[in-house]
Amino acid sequence: MSFREYGLLFWTVIGVFTLLAASPALSRLLVYPRTEFFTELWILDSNHRADDYPFNITRNHNYGVFLGIGNHLGYCAYYLVEVKFRNQTQSAPNSFNRIPSTLPALFNTTAFVADEGVWEMPLTCSFDYEYNETLLQVEFYSLTLNNVTLDLRNYTVAWNSTNNVSFGNLFFELWIYDKTTGNFHYHERFVSLWLNMTV
Amino acid sequence: MWRFRHGLAFLVVLVVIFEVLGCCLRVSAVNDAEADAKTAITEAEGTVLICYGAAEEAERAGANISDLQGVLNEAGWLLSRAELAYEMEDFGLAVSFADQSKARLDGFVADAEVLRKTAMHAGYWDFMANVMGSSVGAVAIFFGGFAVWTFLKKREKEKERV
Repeated sequence: MSFREYGLLFWTVIGVFTLLAASPALSRLLVYPRTEFFTELWILDSNHRADDYPFNITRNHNYGVFLGIGNHLGYCAYYLVEVKFRNQTQSAPNSFNRIPSTLPALFNTTAFVADEGVWEMPLTCSFDYEYNETLLQVEFYSLTLNNVTLDLRNYTVAWNSTNNVSFGNLFFELWIYDKTTGNFHYHERFVSLWLNMTV
Repeated sequence: MWRFRHGLAFLVVLVVIFEVLGCCLRVSAVNDAEADAKTAITEAEGTVLICYGAAEEAERAGANISDLQGVLNEAGWLLSRAELAYEMEDFGLAVSFADQSKARLDGFVADAEVLRKTAMHAGYWDFMANVMGSSVGAVAIFFGGFAVWTFLKKREKEKERV
């Protein structure tokens, strides 16, 4: 067998070694660019699942959920979570118009999340309220969230006698810090829990 | 009797004056406490923003900022508590939380800077070894192979001529 007949084998071996040597550089250069930048916001039950959320609420009883944020924006983001509470007739955040609720926040908490990072916070909440039999409504005193007592006076939820329920809506709006304006603006995301205040 | 009435009137005027003065002082003290709390919160907010900027710079340089993120979140939580206390007009507590938030961020910028420099250094060597080194190695193997191939071909030709 002559030398020329080994040509294909020779160049194949050279090609394989060249690619092997170039692979670290290629792995950095041939990366598909990120095209989607977004934030995830979730709420999970106390078992880290999405099937056993608190619903029937008893006065002064503790309920646990997990609130989480996943950052895929390409930079470390500075978020603000606004905790709000409403009844069925009050302003809610709107997914179509992408606007937050006009209600004042009961509490704000900040979250710094690195790019491709996750922030999760266990939340323990309990409601202190009383049923007003004259006005047929649940009248709130306070919401305790992670040992922080929030004032819920002036908050009421009407009793729905047809379904025997009185729904309150605890929701969390996500805001993000904008470096150019130096302010937080609504990040068009919210999660909420509908709660039946049992008497 | 007349003297007694004057004395009583004088006493009443004195009490009113002290009451008004006391009221003014109380209002002034509350205003001072409120202003102190506002200042403490504003300063803590400023510190948080500076630290956030430092963490972002470190991340941009390629550093793993999960520890910094944890510290920032703790400081942010304390700042949230301070803001809530301020809204509830518990100004002393607001100052306390704001100060705790600031204290939590002591040395943060320096740590972020160390991480940023380390990441930049590591990034430089990563680039040199994995991009430059690998590219140069690949080119060297290819041209080395070409040189070997040319040399062997020349030798083969000489053998054929002989």
